[in-house]
Amino acid sequence: MRGVRLTAGLVALGLGLAACGSDTAAPGGGPGTPAASSIKLGLAYDIGGRGDQSFNDSAARGLDKAEAEFGIDIKELEAAAGETDAQKEDRLRQLAEGGYNTIIAVGFAYAPALKKAAADYPDVKFALIDSEDAQGPNIANLVFAEQEGSFLVGVAAALKSQTGNVGFVGGVNTPLIQKFEVGYTAGVKAVKPDATVQVKYLTQPPDFTGFNDPAKGETAAKGMFDAGADVVYAAAGGSGNGVFKAAKANGRLGIGVDSDQYNLPALADVRDVIITSMVKEVDVAVYDFVTSVKNDKFTAGSHVYDLKAGGIGYATSGGKIDDIQGKIDEYKAKIVAGEIKVPAQK
Amino acid sequence: MSGGVTLEQKAVSAKRGKRLSPMVYLLIAVGALAVLSLVRVLSGATDLTSSGTVQAALIAAVPIAMAALAGLWAERAGVINIGLEGMMVLGTFGAGYAGYQWGPWAGVAFGLVLGVVGGLLHAVATVTFGVDHIISGVAINLLAPGAALFLSKLYFADAPGGGQKQSPRIADAEKITIPGASDLLGTVEAKRWFFVSDLAGVLRGLTTEVSLLTVLAVALLVLTAWVLWRTPFGLRLRSCGEAPTAAESLGVNVYRYKYLAVVASGAFAGLGGAFLAVSSGQFRDGQTGGRGFIGLAAMIFGNWRPGGLATGATLFGYTDAMALRGSGAVHALLLLLGIALLVVAVIQYRAGHHVLSGVAAAIGVLFAWWYFTSDEVPPELVGAAPYVVTLLVLGLASQRLRVPRAIGVPYQRGQGV
Repeated sequence: MRGVRLTAGLVALGLGLAACGSDTAAPGGGPGTPAASSIKLGLAYDIGGRGDQSFNDSAARGLDKAEAEFGIDIKELEAAAGETDAQKEDRLRQLAEGGYNTIIAVGFAYAPALKKAAADYPDVKFALIDSEDAQGPNIANLVFAEQEGSFLVGVAAALKSQTGNVGFVGGVNTPLIQKFEVGYTAGVKAVKPDATVQVKYLTQPPDFTGFNDPAKGETAAKGMFDAGADVVYAAAGGSGNGVFKAAKANGRLGIGVDSDQYNLPALADVRDVIITSMVKEVDVAVYDFVTSVKNDKFTAGSHVYDLKAGGIGYATSGGKIDDIQGKIDEYKAKIVAGEIKVPAQK
Repeated sequence: MSGGVTLEQKAVSAKRGKRLSPMVYLLIAVGALAVLSLVRVLSGATDLTSSGTVQAALIAAVPIAMAALAGLWAERAGVINIGLEGMMVLGTFGAGYAGYQWGPWAGVAFGLVLGVVGGLLHAVATVTFGVDHIISGVAINLLAPGAALFLSKLYFADAPGGGQKQSPRIADAEKITIPGASDLLGTVEAKRWFFVSDLAGVLRGLTTEVSLLTVLAVALLVLTAWVLWRTPFGLRLRSCGEAPTAAESLGVNVYRYKYLAVVASGAFAGLGGAFLAVSSGQFRDGQTGGRGFIGLAAMIFGNWRPGGLATGATLFGYTDAMALRGSGAVHALLLLLGIALLVVAVIQYRAGHHVLSGVAAAIGVLFAWWYFTSDEVPPELVGAAPYVVTLLVLGLASQRLRVPRAIGVPYQRGQGV
């Protein structure tokens, strides 16, 4: 009996060592391996992870596209709610130590962790999505002009509102989400200067549950509807589901965020209230980054995905804004041409 | 609601003297509503007593009240259950798993079953093996979210509309509205009359679009009060929390009662989680957001009694609803708090607690001053409103909390002294 266990243990150990061996050998590239496979891509998700129907899924789409096209080795790691910067740093180091030479950190929460980790692995190329707080010779900051997209959905909200009263539900009161709010408000005021914009953030940092609590989203949106709003923009991750539920129950309208939420299966039963979504092409950014590394064209520093670059946009699925699309596109053209400068901060 | 502040106060002082009649409670409630109405008129924050606020408060209060009931069952039998949060998480997963496939009520039932599993685990650890109650509870709080996440990856990742950390949508439970009353009350509410409109607002909130889950929760609250305080079973169960060795000497099977109590506790916590998931329309990882702990606080606030914990849960739900619905109403809450604290100060002064009265009066004046010199509460503080209110009430009104005597004490048959 003991002998059997010992043998099993040794076999397991041997397998483990073999696995380690093959891992460390891979970056060198065996004979006949195409150049592309010299990229080993690690991706660390934000809270929510793959399958969040929103921000992380968008990153995952870019990853899948890169994988399908280049056939590269990929490792994905998930974040947990309420974790510390040290845990995030460990995750990045784990990837770097595992031989992953191209690492993408999804979400601004990774900034402090990435700053520390990137300094210790100068040969590894990092991408940080949504933040410019960590800079370095091996860090590419993939940021979006969310305020521009939010401006356009603000225009849509103002045009669709009959009461002249619209709402904004933010998940967590962070500088990133404030960009959404500021752009949205500017868009609403551009069409109707005297319109009321109700603003509510579900939680205050460091409490990040506001991105993940549909019950709170529903209560906040219901409050806005009771106070006269008829269109509410949900920049609140998973809590947005509650906003749409409240909109449906009260016969009002909602605006989605990050991906084209009208087409998400999880929101199929409330989608008829989603008139448009502010779309953030995280997948494009991820794919571009991987391509640049693959072609040895990596450049550190900020890469801004704005309306002009096609990294930001608004969705038209469902045909709810077909009648006003012309007007929205007028504003879009003005922003692209630089005639309208959308503020990013209060 | 804020009626709870004075209600609780009276309930506490009642223990010193004679019991108060229901008529007095009614008067206190009317008085509280009058104060609320006065603050509404003064501040112009109509959301203080609007039907929408009452509805939102009810929805927010239900999971907390269920967690508090769960705590009540366990702690009345002498077992501390700090694992409520974990059991609620199990409940949310159960509701997500069964709910999206077979409808909301299957979700509720399955959430309850998973809660029972959590309760059973706690019972085996604490009652059979004598593990420290806190340690077992913390272990459950660590274990449950991990288990729920693992299971959700297993079952939801490939389900249509699901993800690794969320279930597909669950249909909502049926909602009932009392047909004529709702419209009539709505008309009265819109008039903005002093007191009458406020009463109409509250009543309308209680009769419009009320989820059957809420009705069930209220029924369970009443049922618990009846079982624990009006039946021999309840008396024996409570005796296990006060003096287990004495109960044993009278032939009560303490182990069995503790097991039943902790399993019931798990069931209620699971129900709380299930209610939350069903009313949010899906299971999400981390969606309980500390409601289990708030439930525990509501139970302590309620002095380990069903009426008290319902008041505590409503207070949490009300301030939470207020904080989420608009910061204007939270600003008005400052004035309300100021007035409530001054009332507390008067009551404490008459009871002879001069220092306490002074502290309450000082804080009350401070809140009133804050109200009159500012236009809004900073958003960073709005979210803290429920906790601040509860801390103040706990600190200044409920002086005489009585914990079940043998709580947290390991029990071994035949080893009593």
